[in-house]
Amino acid sequence: MKIIIAIFCVAIGLNTFAQIETPAKKQTKKILLMNGFAHLGNGKIIENSVIAFEEGKLTIVANAKTIKLDMGRFDTVIRLEGKHVYPGIITPNSTIGITEIDAVKATRDYAELGMFKPHVRSIIAYNTESKITTTVRSNGVLLGQITPRGGRITGTSSIVQFDAWNWEDAVIKEDDGVHLNWAGMFNNRTGKENKKYAESITQLNTFFTNALAYSKDENYIEKNLRFEAMRGVFNGKKTLFIRANFVKEITEAINFSKRHKVSKMVIVGGYDSWMVADMLKENNIAVILKRVHSLPERQEDDVYLPYKLPKMLHDAGVLFCLENSGDMEAMGARNLPFYAGTATAYGIEKEAALSLITFNTAKILGIDKTCGSLEVGKDATLFISAGDALDMRTNKVTSAFIQGRLLDLDNHQEKLYRKYSKKYEE
Amino acid sequence: MKNIFLYILILVSFIAKAQETFIVNGTHNNNHNAFAFTNATIHIDYQTIIENGTLVIKDGKITAVGERVEIPKNAVIQNLKGKHLYPSLIDLYSDYGITKPVKAKTHRQGPQIETTTKGAYNWNQAIKPEVEAGQLFKVDDKKAAELRKLGFGTVLTHQQDGIMRGTSALVTLSNDQAQAVMLKDNVANHLSFNKGTSTQDYPGSLMGMIALLRQTYYDVDWMFNNNTVDEYNLSLNTIIDNWQMPQIFEANDKLSILRADKIGDEFEMQYMFKGKGDEYQRIKEIKATGGKLIIPINFPKAYEVTDPYNSLKISYSDVKNWELAPFNLGIIAKNEVDFSITASDLKDKKMFFKNLRRAIKSGLSEEDALKALTYSPANFINEYERVGSLAEGKLANFIITSENLFAEKNIIHENWIKGKQHVIADYNAIDIKGNYDLNLGKKIYKLKVTGELKKLKGSIEIIGTKDSKPDTNKVSVSVSLSGNLVSLSFNPKDDFEKGTIRLSGTITNNAGIWDGNGQLSNGDWIKWSAIKGKETPSKKKDNDTTKTDSLIIPRIQYPNMAYGLDSLPKSETILITNTTVWTSEKEGILKNTDVLIENGKIAQIVAHSGGMSVGEGVLIIDGKDKHLTAGIIDEHSHIAISRGVNECTQAVTSEVSISDVINSDDINIYRQLAGGVTASHLLHGSCNPVGGQSGIIKLKWGSAPDSMKIKDTPGFIKFALGENVKRAGWGSGYGNRFPQTRMGVEQVYYDAFIRAKEYEKKWAAYAKVPEKDRKSTPAPRIDLELETLNEIINSERFISCHSYQQGEINMLMHVADSMGFVVNTFTHILEGYKVADKMKKHGAGGSTFSDWWAYKFEVNDAIPHNGAIMHKQGIVTAFNSDDAEMGRRLNQEAAKAVKYGGLSEEEAWKFVTLNPAKLLHLDDKMGSIKVGKDADVVLWTDNPLSIYAKVEKTIIEGAVYFDIEKDQATQEANKKEKARIIEKMIKAKKGGAKTQEPNSKKPKLYHCDTVGE
Repeated sequence: MKIIIAIFCVAIGLNTFAQIETPAKKQTKKILLMNGFAHLGNGKIIENSVIAFEEGKLTIVANAKTIKLDMGRFDTVIRLEGKHVYPGIITPNSTIGITEIDAVKATRDYAELGMFKPHVRSIIAYNTESKITTTVRSNGVLLGQITPRGGRITGTSSIVQFDAWNWEDAVIKEDDGVHLNWAGMFNNRTGKENKKYAESITQLNTFFTNALAYSKDENYIEKNLRFEAMRGVFNGKKTLFIRANFVKEITEAINFSKRHKVSKMVIVGGYDSWMVADMLKENNIAVILKRVHSLPERQEDDVYLPYKLPKMLHDAGVLFCLENSGDMEAMGARNLPFYAGTATAYGIEKEAALSLITFNTAKILGIDKTCGSLEVGKDATLFISAGDALDMRTNKVTSAFIQGRLLDLDNHQEKLYRKYSKKYEE
Repeated sequence: MKNIFLYILILVSFIAKAQETFIVNGTHNNNHNAFAFTNATIHIDYQTIIENGTLVIKDGKITAVGERVEIPKNAVIQNLKGKHLYPSLIDLYSDYGITKPVKAKTHRQGPQIETTTKGAYNWNQAIKPEVEAGQLFKVDDKKAAELRKLGFGTVLTHQQDGIMRGTSALVTLSNDQAQAVMLKDNVANHLSFNKGTSTQDYPGSLMGMIALLRQTYYDVDWMFNNNTVDEYNLSLNTIIDNWQMPQIFEANDKLSILRADKIGDEFEMQYMFKGKGDEYQRIKEIKATGGKLIIPINFPKAYEVTDPYNSLKISYSDVKNWELAPFNLGIIAKNEVDFSITASDLKDKKMFFKNLRRAIKSGLSEEDALKALTYSPANFINEYERVGSLAEGKLANFIITSENLFAEKNIIHENWIKGKQHVIADYNAIDIKGNYDLNLGKKIYKLKVTGELKKLKGSIEIIGTKDSKPDTNKVSVSVSLSGNLVSLSFNPKDDFEKGTIRLSGTITNNAGIWDGNGQLSNGDWIKWSAIKGKETPSKKKDNDTTKTDSLIIPRIQYPNMAYGLDSLPKSETILITNTTVWTSEKEGILKNTDVLIENGKIAQIVAHSGGMSVGEGVLIIDGKDKHLTAGIIDEHSHIAISRGVNECTQAVTSEVSISDVINSDDINIYRQLAGGVTASHLLHGSCNPVGGQSGIIKLKWGSAPDSMKIKDTPGFIKFALGENVKRAGWGSGYGNRFPQTRMGVEQVYYDAFIRAKEYEKKWAAYAKVPEKDRKSTPAPRIDLELETLNEIINSERFISCHSYQQGEINMLMHVADSMGFVVNTFTHILEGYKVADKMKKHGAGGSTFSDWWAYKFEVNDAIPHNGAIMHKQGIVTAFNSDDAEMGRRLNQEAAKAVKYGGLSEEEAWKFVTLNPAKLLHLDDKMGSIKVGKDADVVLWTDNPLSIYAKVEKTIIEGAVYFDIEKDQATQEANKKEKARIIEKMIKAKKGGAKTQEPNSKKPKLYHCDTVGE
């Protein structure tokens, strides 16, 4: 039995030797985390917890005071002394790994040519070597839904974990959803009504009608790649994510997916979704709420409306989670925990806010059997922070595990920090 | 009577053709008869009315006007009993008779750096003072007729193109030869903030236009005062020649009036301003300009608001402006600002009187309205001797109306211009509209005639039976009137006649009786007559856009938008008790402390246990469990800027200044107050190595731009390095502006500063020239660009330099060292951590982002620890936003200096308060809580670095600018106000008002690299 007082040492040790962060080996040893303040992600907490995992799965999540443990069973026991344990944060609707430097076209792989391209799959472009990923996971963001952009139907996303050699072993759920940008009723730039709105919707209807008809034949001989990619939307294997913010667009999107027998639809953006909360609930439609740290859409909106939207949706009983698309979305994903913090500042209880970036996200993305909370049987994808991870003032991630594998939390930025700190020490 | 009229018409047209200098083909047909208009209600001028007056005109001029006037024997007399006579209206803002210039199409990619105008003109294509409307003018009777219908007789016309547009010509709207129509050319000089058809790149922003105007005036001054200047410049010469003319400046909005006036003040020139109709929003400041106004009378249409969701898209300010716009003229008049009214911005000229009546219903007196259409415009261009009232010797420009000019039923019958009659609605015309009994033998039909004289419509009702039930059938009748002859045709399809009946007859008895013969479909002739019956009162639809219920002006908010204030907050004596005070001074963070604010300053900081006693009238705020800090200062912001953050067009644009284009109407000012920001450094963008000067403001929401500026503080200027400067992301078309590489950037700096130094030397040499030799020694030309660079060299202006990579940062410090100045601040400075030692040695500060990176190649090595490293190396370090959204969360961003790099909370907090104050040379009065400093403070609910902290109050100079409770109340009030006005819009629509579709256009958010307006 080896007892390591603080896992911090392990992390540092790795840093010293590794030049480039290397994916960790499969968990072989049995690990026990003692006395951490566990935030389970599902709304519950265990102030003094024991958390054990083997072969990548959680085996014990319990109260240290009530459980009897045979410590000898574990290869590694880590005493957390009140540090906080959280499930890995999930960034939905993200471009991590399919963009590197926004201004350099050669590094952008998120927007394929064309309007209707459900067959275009993000997973094969997902770059496990991205320097951005390592900076994001060192704030506790360990999973992401990698999502294409551009056009009406942007493509098919996949969900990955952020410690992998290549896209194949990164996959948590391949081809989980098709993403659709709902046509704007008003032109973004001129503010005028979009005269081509009806035409856009007709095109969409035509596409979906044909895709549905096509999907009725399991072995359609004359293959259509687009329609093939749409099968999952009708048979329950893929979720349809529709990006819409204006209340009428949201309403239209809901009716649209009902009409076309879409098995599972999620609203992305949803700035006005609180106005149609009942409709969302009736139809079991979840919302991936647009970036909390953003400006109000309308002059007269509450100046804090984007901060308050989580509370409003929460109170209305809508299932929702938080996302970070927009400017600087890939690298900014490391601030996802703070969006949950803002949700708390503006009315949601902390654990419920945590769910908005963990448990709820997993449910909405359909990966909650294995991810999103600290529950026995789920993946041991979690991180440890010295303080409250939802507040940048106290967020200090000391270690993180993905499927039981201890991550090297070093990154390009930390290396430069050390390099130049050293320069000035001399 | 009618014959007389026809006779006059013919005569007049003859007179008009007889231009003195022209040859005549045939015999001369002179007519020097006088015309006398008798028994009229004559509006001599805007304030004098005589009843039963007589006006006599001869040879195009008024010879007499009054109650008892001798009528010359040879006068043609027109009896105007019951009619009104007004001086015809004058519009000072017109492009009547001037062809609109068309922008040249170019196939060029990228910017056009030089002018395409050939000849000895100004270097900038938009400066065209040499254009003379008099030379371009052509009579355009179609356009003239449109304006004559409204009662206009004279307009001041100019070519509405460019920044300096040249002079205008005063012309009448008569259907005549140009030689008769033009009264005067070179009347006024015209300017605007609009490049028009200029294809030249510069100026690319409003601040660029302001700089261009200023430089042009300096150039004029230089030419004027130096005979020995070796440049012959027709444009500049013209400006000198036209200096004394009235100067009319088209300002795009209320704030641009203030901007233009500042230019005028600098050169001792008082412009007259053509406004936009929103002057009521800043009337106090506009009045203070001393400028006369030319105000359009186009009011926004009501919005289509029947769909409640769509109406979410209409901004609060648009809704407010819809309601208030009709009050604008009344408010201007009430404030005793001289103004004239123009029809120029009206797309639908028919709305002119409708809108004018709306303005009158909204507080504009009829007298003021008439004054603004006659006396004032004439007076503004010194032409009251000729036009603007009815007096002996003046031009015979007048209109005949059926009643008071502003009455809803009023009809303008005739518009006489220089003694030439233009009939608009013939008052002698027979009005046959009405209901008649049409008798055809024994058969009687009920005939109804409606419509206009030239488009009469008739109908009869046939009462019969259908399926043994009574049935009324309406049959249309074609009616036409020619002189006194009327003809009708219709097919009743009844028992009397199955085919068409055609009737012809004469009208007698003042249109009361018609009679004559007609033919039936079988060819039989028949006698007929029609007798006018009583008028049935028609249910009149109210077509006026909106009835205003009262003359009470709806609430104007400052600014007139959501969260705008009714009145500006006042500085109060405030005691904040028992709170945690982040002093950012050596005292550190003090718990259980009281802070007293007096006269806008921090007056006392004492322990709560000491128990400060204060007198009455002091606002006491309980600060228990709360945190009090100095207000956040954003070192790098682009909020509150009008029409462009970048003057991208040249590599060096130090002549432009953001402080000229501050926009006090940006909602983000309020939003940032709600995030604890009290001051912002508004920087030019990062388009060029030497950008423009900054504006530094306190976020005094509700104030006009000038009141927001921080006074008595050194100026700043933006420099920029890296990808934006070399136009990395601009595509291949933009390869023609130097520099394209970092290598070129260095040379731009050397070139600029070497030129600046030579410039300084020239002036120094000139200063030594003895007074007696001054005349023969040409003075150097004032160059605003180089003046500004010398301010930098002389430490009167400081640099904030957009920068990323260490190499170029080092380069600029070398340039600065060798040129003898210090780079005050490197802003963004994301590789500052790599050269922190060099920066420290040079004496530069750093204002960086907390954790941005990877958005450009040059920020690939940006690290969030940057701030901490720079700080540890002794550099004054700040975090800035460069972003309206992040600007309101800078407190949280400061916490990232704790998270990344492990600074103490106290030091991290200084990154957004004291340190930016130091970088801006404002730390003697701002940035910390210290007795004697400005009372710019924020009360937080929690540790200000925490994500859980919220702003309760933001105080600037002792005045509460943001209060969380008041904010909620304002929001509620705004909601009600919008709903109230929307209700009014719905009523307006029901009343027949035209509507427009909702528009969700949002003001543009600027970043460093935003190009264009």
